[in-house]
Amino acid sequence: MSETSPTGVIHDIGYRHYTGPRHGRGYAVRALTVHSLRGVFGLGRTARAKIIPYSLVAIMMLPAVVQVAAMALISQRPLTYSGFVPAMQVVLAIFLASQSPFLVAPDLRFRVLPLYLSRPVTPRDYVGAKLLAMTSALFLLIAIPLTVMYIGELVIDMRPGESPFGEALGPAVPSPDTVGYLGSMAFGLVYALLLAAVGVAVASFTPRRGLGVASVIALYLLASGVSVVLNAVFQSTSDDVLASWALLVNPFFLVNAVQNWIFGGVTGTGLDYPDMAGPLGALAVLALIALSTAAMLARYRKAASA
Amino acid sequence: MTILTTEGLTKRFPRVTALDRLSVTVGPGVTGLVGANGAGKSTLIKILLGLVEPTEGSGRVLGLDFRTQGDEIRRVAGYMPEHECLPPDISATEFVVHMGQMSGLPRTAARERAADVLRHVGLYEERYRAIGGYSTGMRQRVKLAQALIHDPKLVFLDEPTNGLDPKGRDEMLALIRRIGSEFGISVLVTSHLLGELERICDHVIVIDGGTLLRSSAIGEFTQATQSITVEVEEGQEALAAHLSGLGETVTAHGRLLAVHVRGDQTFDAVRDAVCDLDLSLVRLEQGRQRIEDVFRENAHV
Repeated sequence: MSETSPTGVIHDIGYRHYTGPRHGRGYAVRALTVHSLRGVFGLGRTARAKIIPYSLVAIMMLPAVVQVAAMALISQRPLTYSGFVPAMQVVLAIFLASQSPFLVAPDLRFRVLPLYLSRPVTPRDYVGAKLLAMTSALFLLIAIPLTVMYIGELVIDMRPGESPFGEALGPAVPSPDTVGYLGSMAFGLVYALLLAAVGVAVASFTPRRGLGVASVIALYLLASGVSVVLNAVFQSTSDDVLASWALLVNPFFLVNAVQNWIFGGVTGTGLDYPDMAGPLGALAVLALIALSTAAMLARYRKAASA
Repeated sequence: MTILTTEGLTKRFPRVTALDRLSVTVGPGVTGLVGANGAGKSTLIKILLGLVEPTEGSGRVLGLDFRTQGDEIRRVAGYMPEHECLPPDISATEFVVHMGQMSGLPRTAARERAADVLRHVGLYEERYRAIGGYSTGMRQRVKLAQALIHDPKLVFLDEPTNGLDPKGRDEMLALIRRIGSEFGISVLVTSHLLGELERICDHVIVIDGGTLLRSSAIGEFTQATQSITVEVEEGQEALAAHLSGLGETVTAHGRLLAVHVRGDQTFDAVRDAVCDLDLSLVRLEQGRQRIEDVFRENAHV
C-alpha cells in the first residue's frame, strides 16, 4: 500500500506556450462588441446590474402584449408600428441614460482603456465597438416588441382595412401591416444609431458613471422640454407651421418625421409634422450621428495619447 | 540576438523633453530599465508599443518598426502598465479571458490560457471573485496575468513592484525571473530601485532625464561596485580603525561599513579583524549599488 502514489496531487506541468491560432483586429473588435453588449444587459455581472435593463425590457414589452390582447379580444389595434417608439420614448431615454455610461465610463475611470490600446485595436475600433454594442442593444429593445406585435397580427385574423383609431384619426391600415412593420424595423435601426451615438458620446466625456447618467437624461429632458414649450408657445400665437417645426427638437419626433416621410402612415401621437420635415430631418439625423461620432473619436484619440 | 533597439530616440512634449536622443539595445532575458520618477521610462515603453509617436529617432521591437508596425508589435508583446487598470465588478478569470480574446485568442483557448496563467502568477480560488475586493498584491498579479495571456514573445512591465509589501515584492521579483528564464519570454522591467532589479536582471539600462546613463550586463555592475558590506552588533568604529590600519579602504554608512575589495585578502582581513576584536558579526555581503551611486559615479566621470 505504501507504494501507491498519493492521489489528489496537483502536478505543476510548467509553463506551456501557445501554438494555436491568433485572430486579427476584426476578431478583437467583435469580442469587444459582444463583451460590451453583454455588459449593457448586465450579463456576466452582479444581479444588481441586471435589474434596470431587464425592468426596462419588460416595460417595452407591455404595449406589445396589450396590442396582441386587444387584437384578439376586441379586434382593434391601439398602436401603429411607427407610433411605437415615440410612444415609448421615455423608456428608451432612461435605458440610454442608465446604460451608456456603463459602457464607457468604467474603462476611463479604472483606466482599462490603455490595456485595450496595448492590443492590436485602435481608438477608432474601440469607438466603433462601443457604438455597435449600444446600437444593437437599443435595436433589440425596439425590434422585439415590434416583432411580437407583428406575429400577433399574423396569427390573429383581423378584418383588413380597419382604421386603428377609427376613421376620424387616420386612414385605414391594412392587416397585416407588413410595410409598416418593415419600415418600423428599418427605422428602429435609425433610432438606435442616433440615440447610441448621442448617448455614448455624451457619456464618454465623463469617467463618473453618475454624472454620465445625469448628463444623458438631462439632454433628453432639455430637448423634449424645449420642444413641448416651443410647440405650446407657437400654438398659442397660432403659428401652426412653427409649432410643428418645434416638435422636431425632440430627437424621437425627428426620426419619426423622416420615417413617415419615407413610409407614410400615421404616428398615432396625433402630431402633424411640417411639409419639409422629412428630407431636412433626414439631414439633421445624419449630421447628429456624424457629429457625435466625430466628437467621440476626437475624445478617444486624446485619451489614447495621454 | 536583439529584442529591441532604439536609435536617437527623442520625445518632446510641449513643456518637457521626455526622451533625449536615446539609443539602447536590449537582448533576450530580463532587462531592467532603471530611472527616477519622470526619467522617461513609461514614455519609452509607450513608444516601443507604437502608442506614442516619437518626435525623432527610430527603432525596432522584435524586428518590427514601432513607428509603422505598432499593431503587429502589440500582437506579440504584452504590457503591464504602472497604474491601476482593472475593472472592479468582474472576476479575474472573466477579465483575463476577455483580454486574451482582445489579443486574438479564440474563446476556448483564452479560457485554458487564463486558467494556466492565473495559476502561474499565484491566483487560485480567488480568481472567481470580483476584482474590486482584491488586495494590491492580487491586483498586481492580475495585471501581470493579462500581459501574459497571449503568450507574448516580450513583456513590458512598468513598475510591477509598486505598492507591494516586502514579501509581495520578493514574490513578484521571483515571478519575473521565472518569466524570463523558465517561460522563455523576454522581459523589459522598469523600477526606480536598482537594488531590486539587480537580483533578477541579466542586463540593466539606467536612464535619467531621458538620456542613457549606462547600459551593461549585471556582472559589470557588481564588478564596478567591488565592495562588501559589513555589519557588526557594536564596535564598528574599532573595526573600521583596525581595517584601515591593515590598509583597507573603509567607509561608514551609519551602522554599516563598506569595505573596498582589493582581492581575497580583504575577506580574510575582515574575518580576522572581527575575531581579533571579539565582535558579533551580523552581516557580511556583497555591496549593493544603489541608483544614487550610479548617478554619483557618472557625475565624477
